[in-house]
Amino acid sequence: MSDIGMILDRIGRKLVTDVAPKLEGDYSAGHAAMSGLMAVMAGEAWDSAADRLVNEIAGIRALLALAGRQVTVTESATVKISDLTTERNALAEQLVVVQAELEARDDAAAKDLNAKVWMHLMATAMARMPSPPDFPDAEE
Amino acid sequence: MHETDLAEKFAAYAEARLPGASNTRVNNINRIHGGASRQTYSIDLVYEDATGPKVKGLILRRDPPDSLIDTERRVEFAAIKSAYGQRDLPVPEALFLETDPTVLGAPFFVMGRIESGTPVNPFKIADIEPYRAAIGEQFFRHLGSIAALPVEGSALAAETDSPALDQCWRRELDYWANEIRSNANDPQPVAEAAIRYLQRHPPPPAQRLSIVHGDYRSGNYLQDGEGTMTAILDWEMAHIGDPYEDLAWATDLLWCGSDQERAAGLLPWPEAIAVWQEASGCAFDPAAFEWWSLFAHVKALGIWVTSEKAFAAGDNDDPILAWSGWFTHAAHELMLAMRLGPKYGASV
Repeated sequence: MSDIGMILDRIGRKLVTDVAPKLEGDYSAGHAAMSGLMAVMAGEAWDSAADRLVNEIAGIRALLALAGRQVTVTESATVKISDLTTERNALAEQLVVVQAELEARDDAAAKDLNAKVWMHLMATAMARMPSPPDFPDAEE
Repeated sequence: MHETDLAEKFAAYAEARLPGASNTRVNNINRIHGGASRQTYSIDLVYEDATGPKVKGLILRRDPPDSLIDTERRVEFAAIKSAYGQRDLPVPEALFLETDPTVLGAPFFVMGRIESGTPVNPFKIADIEPYRAAIGEQFFRHLGSIAALPVEGSALAAETDSPALDQCWRRELDYWANEIRSNANDPQPVAEAAIRYLQRHPPPPAQRLSIVHGDYRSGNYLQDGEGTMTAILDWEMAHIGDPYEDLAWATDLLWCGSDQERAAGLLPWPEAIAVWQEASGCAFDPAAFEWWSLFAHVKALGIWVTSEKAFAAGDNDDPILAWSGWFTHAAHELMLAMRLGPKYGASV
């Protein structure tokens, strides 16, 4: 039993389709349904989390290099989600600064690079968007 | 506090405030799911007075340890009082406000319960067919009516400040930018870029100061299943400001069931705007609306990062806060990125 994504998916579906209906009328029914919905989503996200973070990190490092930025953020020693998140966050803070500087300039090079930053942000936002399973009463 | 204990203490509290009431008890108490900004209970209060036995349906809204929105219950109470009985608005009666936390373990307020209606799921708006258009007409008429309520002399004006017409946008943007910067667990490059964009491209001054509900949307009103909107709820973010703020929030894509053809997922855009204009007496300026519509995404991110922080810190373990910090945050970040990116020459 090492397929964590599958385990979370099954637990989530059990909560939504079996446990929550039995709790109907009690305040905890909503909690069970919501928890189940997110367990299914977490199973899906678990599988792709490292890949998504590695892509975000590579994208930001490339943009900072194009901006001529001296990047001092060290590469993660592991591919643990927590380590990758720490690296991504440190890089993202620098990206915020770079983007504000680009917006203050009016030259073509700055506009071109800012467009590239936005393409990265758009691609990242799309990759982060979970796709909720269609359960009848797990919403809001 | 256990519900039995809560019921006993509330019965004693209510008896002291209902003229001539005796033998007061709570016959039924149920916590309502979804009210993460307050702990919300539906209560049947039974008592006797000089005219005989009475049963009163009440809603008790008690402050939780933490919530989606950090608001003062006195502002929500005042907003409900300001709208109750005005212009056919379906708003519950505001009854008691208690700021002493020792009475029920936390400050609370009480309002009359509206006996019919269920909320509309923003992800399943089509479920209200064949009454979608009828509900839509009421939704935008009531929204316009709120914008037309008198501000001066209102209970809300006594509890909160009234910004200058040209400062409404700045006050709201500053507030929510600070919420994002104070509460986000991770860097927010999309939100930061949006804040800078909105600061550089301010909207025109508000055409009037209005009571702004602050969270008027699918999920925060009740409908009776027969084409009538029966209640406007969740006034906790009410304030005085630009009426476009409510219009933009109410029509945010997240609350529209991803229906871009119908405003709020209810009514074709031209009809919705026409109804709102007639009820509010306001003109519609697409450029001003565009600013407030982008701002609505930023405000949403402010709420979602605050939710995530409260959940992660263990201040409030309601799963809806985790959902808000994850799914709805991702949704609004995506909306902002897809709207702002093209303004800077980006395409997917």
